[in-house]
Formats: sequence, C-alpha cells, structure tokens
Amino acid sequence: MLSPIKFYIWGENMAQDYLIMPERPEKKKIKINYPLILLLLPGLIVFVLFTIYPIVKLFFMSFFDWQIGFEQKSIFIGLKNYLQVINDPICRRAISNTLIYALVTVPSQIIIGLLVAVLIHSIKRFKITFRVLYYLPVITSWVIAALIFKYIFNNEGFLNYLLTDLLHLTENYIPWLDRPSTGMFVAQLLGIWKGIGWNMVVFLAALQGVPLELYEAASIDGGGKIKQFFYITLPSIKNTILFAVVMLSIGAFNVFTSIQLMTGGHPAHQTEVALTWMYYKAFEARDFGYAAALSYILAMIITAITLLLFRYFRKDNT
Amino acid sequence: MMKTAKNYKLLVYLILLIGVVITSTPMLYLISTSLRSNGSLYEYPPTFIPSKFTLENYRYVILKVDFYRSFINSLIVALSTVLFAAFISSTLAFCLARFDFPGKNLLFASIMATMIIPGMTLIIPQFELAVAFKLINRLGGLIPVYIAWVIPFSTFMIKGFIEGIPTDFDEAIYMDGGNAFTVYRTIILPLASPSIAAISIFNFLMAWEEYPWALTVINDLDKRTLPITISGFFGQHNFTLWGYVFAMSVISLLPVIICFLFFQRYFISGLSSGAIKH
Repeated sequence: MLSPIKFYIWGENMAQDYLIMPERPEKKKIKINYPLILLLLPGLIVFVLFTIYPIVKLFFMSFFDWQIGFEQKSIFIGLKNYLQVINDPICRRAISNTLIYALVTVPSQIIIGLLVAVLIHSIKRFKITFRVLYYLPVITSWVIAALIFKYIFNNEGFLNYLLTDLLHLTENYIPWLDRPSTGMFVAQLLGIWKGIGWNMVVFLAALQGVPLELYEAASIDGGGKIKQFFYITLPSIKNTILFAVVMLSIGAFNVFTSIQLMTGGHPAHQTEVALTWMYYKAFEARDFGYAAALSYILAMIITAITLLLFRYFRKDNT
Repeated sequence: MMKTAKNYKLLVYLILLIGVVITSTPMLYLISTSLRSNGSLYEYPPTFIPSKFTLENYRYVILKVDFYRSFINSLIVALSTVLFAAFISSTLAFCLARFDFPGKNLLFASIMATMIIPGMTLIIPQFELAVAFKLINRLGGLIPVYIAWVIPFSTFMIKGFIEGIPTDFDEAIYMDGGNAFTVYRTIILPLASPSIAAISIFNFLMAWEEYPWALTVINDLDKRTLPITISGFFGQHNFTLWGYVFAMSVISLLPVIICFLFFQRYFISGLSSGAIKH
C-alpha cells in the first residue's frame, strides 16, 4: 500500500507558495455555532465509527476468544492471547522478519534516494525527466510490483537464467522465493526499489532549501565537494532525514502485499512478516483474539520506535 | 580545470542513466512480457525482448475476460473515495484550523496518533462493522474504510494549509452576515484547493491499488477491483499465464501514470518556485 503520509514535504512547499500574508491567523471564538457543528459532523462520524471505535473494539477482542457471527459466544480469556502471541515461535519469526526488513530497507532507501537527489540537484538539463523516471516505481502498485518480482525471481525466471546459464555465477538455479533467507531478500529488494523515488523527491525538496551562501562560504574556505556534503548539506537536511526515517519505519511495518503474493509466508511460515501473520491468524485460522492481541503489540512497537526516533534526534539537535 | 568539470558532469549523467536503467528494468520487463504470446513465455532461453511482438494478450483480457468490469469498479471506488475524503477532510480541517471547541486538542491528537498505526491492524473490527452494515461483497464496503484510512493524513495536510490563509477574508464574510458555511464555501474551498488537489491524487492512488481490504471484503467476480482481479487471475490457473496478468497490469497502470505525468508539472512548478526563492 502506498502510504499517503509520504507527501508531507510537497504540502509544506505548496503552502509556502500560496501564502498571501505570512502572519499567523487569529482564532475566532463563537459560542454555539450550528454551522460549525454541521461541518464537523461528517468527519467526526467517519473518524469515530471507522477508526476510534475499531481501536477500542480491537482492545476488547484481544482479551477474548473472539468469534465473528451471531450464534457463537465469545469467551473472556484474560491475557491468554497476549501470552500466546509472545510465546509463539512463528510470531517471533514474523516480527523479527519485519524488524530486519526495516533495518535493511530504511537506510538503503535513504542512502540511495539521497544520492540520486544530490546528483539530480547538481545537474541542469533533464532534471524533470530523471525525476519522473526515478519516481515511476513509487506509483506502481504493490500488487503489480510483487508479480513482476515474482516473475523475475521465478525458478525458471530471467534472473536465474542470467546468473546460471549466461554468466555461470552459480551452478544450479537459485530457488529465490522458496528459501526463507532469499525470499526475505527479494521482498527487501522490492521495498528498496519501490521506495527510492519517494526519498529522491523528498530530499530534492530539502536540498533546494539549503541556503546557497553556506556553500559559497565553504568554497572560499576551500572545502571539497564531499566535505561540503558532510559538513553543510547533511546537517541542513537533518529534519528531513528524521522525517524520512520515521515514515519509512512506519512503512516497513505496513509490509503485506509483497510477501503475501511472492512467498505467501512459505516455506513453513518462515517468511511471514507481522501483518501477513496477523492476517493469516485472523482470516485463515479464524483466531481473531490472537490477531487482535498481535495488532496491539505491533501498534505499541511502532509507536515506541517513533517516539525513540524523535527523542534521539531531538537530543542530537541541542 | 574546465575539462575535469566537464568530465565530472558527464560522470553524473552516466551514473543517473545507469540508475534509471536498473530501476526501470522491472517495468520494461513487465511491458515486454505483456507483448509476447503466452506460448513463447516458457521458451528456452528466456529473452528480455521478445522475438515477435503481439497484442493477443491485450485482445484477450479486453474481449474475453470481464476485465473492464474490474476497471470500472476500481474507478467507482477510487473516485468516490477521493470525493468524499476531499469533502470530509476539508471540513474537518477547516473546523480544526479556524475554531475553538471542546475536545479539539484531543481530536487533533488522536488524528495524529492514528497516522502512526498501520491501517491494516484495524482490519478485524472493521470487518465486523462491514458485516454488521451488510457491506460484505459490495463496493460500498470498500469506500468507507478507504475514507477512514485517508482522513487523518488528508485532514492534517489541509489543516496546515488553511492555517496559512489569512483570516481577514473570513472576518469580512462574518461582517456581511455570513456564517461558517459561507466562509467554507467562498473562502476556504477555493483558496485551499491546491492542497485538496494534492491529497486527492494520493487518495486516488491508495484506493486504486489497495489490496488487503478488498481481498477481505470482495468475493464475487463482478465486484472485484483491479488488484484483486490481477492477483486472482494469478491464482486461478495452475501455471500462470503471465502474458495475461501483465497485460492487465499495464492497462491498470495507465491511468495512474497519465495522472502522475499530468500532475507532475503542477508539482514541479511549486517545488522549483521554492528553489528560486533561496
């Protein structure tokens, strides 16, 4: 799923461009404002009904042997679901697969995306062309991307032919998607491939915001290009990097479609990620209580990661 | 000195070009596979460029399969999501940006918090809701959940934008006896339209390509959206007819790419004007 959160920076820039007067508007206070209530209602109803209520409901479910349907009764079982989740070796595997996925794909996307952004920023012609071309994988849907990668990494696929029959790098075809380690590797590769373009756009916008005077001062002082990058560019775009790390970590926890379609969690659930395992438990094994408890644990992990990242970068700033 | 500078520039272009070749290889492979006959798919040795181009896959998926049905379904779902989400999030953003009311900070904090949690974790209670509202196996079951998924971010974006619009216009409307509706309709909607347009693109993409929720809710062939049809076709046949799958994929990518190329210009003008300021 393409996370819509990812376009924050564009919005910021646009807001600047359309600003007519820079001062902050004052808030208006009105006692009972019926039009206001009517304007508030649609958003409030959808938000409460389809987001807040499910969050609360999910919390209840996680303490029950939950049954969907009207005939069966759900039984309260306390913390049993949580204990089951924590003690489940497959679930641990799924969560560690997710964490490794994040650890591999987040830095790779940022480094490659930043490199591409710096290069595009430095050229004068074909800027837009490169930007469009690098962005295309981002708008390719996860389903289509997963199917393309499945086709390329098939046992009889093009890559095996290239590696084995043409270049003779390996003796036998590599069963990419049938082995846990290589299966996860292909999923990570897909994640990186799909994410570079977004990082490129975000960093390109950030690079345009670095004051040119800083570079001019550095060139008088005789700093090289690489030195300039580490001492001027990187510190200037630090907030954007934090933003990217947070967004991409959240994105890594959202991984579902690529794994579901490429490996389906196989072999023996060894390539499950958190959400595919949650989905399997809910809609295949029909263990809704377990899936609810897992959902809550996941939400807590990603919230903790986000808070830690903010704290880490804040401390660094002062 | 001049020569090294020129060489350096050439090197930059070369690296960028190699990068583009690598990143676009999967896409080119997708297109080339969709253009070869299914019989030649399992030929040995596999080739990157087919020896013979054919449109038979496209002819098949357009004429023989009810593929157009899925295309229309996706269009209905995506456009409804965009329209409702644009209205709902802009009104919510307007209220949050311009007024004080009890519980406002709590509301905004919860909207921010829900942006962190993966949308899919709420799929079970949302599924129960869909069952309760008899929305299973209906396109109407997809739209409200998609709207709920995109509202937090859309509201957050539009709110930030509305805060940049001066309140002088609002006050003029109130002086003339207008109310919050009038302000929303005559000031906020037109002036905030750039931000509404921007989030609408992302909402469209999200609804167009969404997979897990549609997989959960939709069963019937004639209710399926594009991602479900494409991936379902994949599972239906014992050995997958990749040519058909990829022909469908290319067709479903077309509106997205056209939409992107069209709005890309619009975005670039915004971004590059930002660059000129510095």
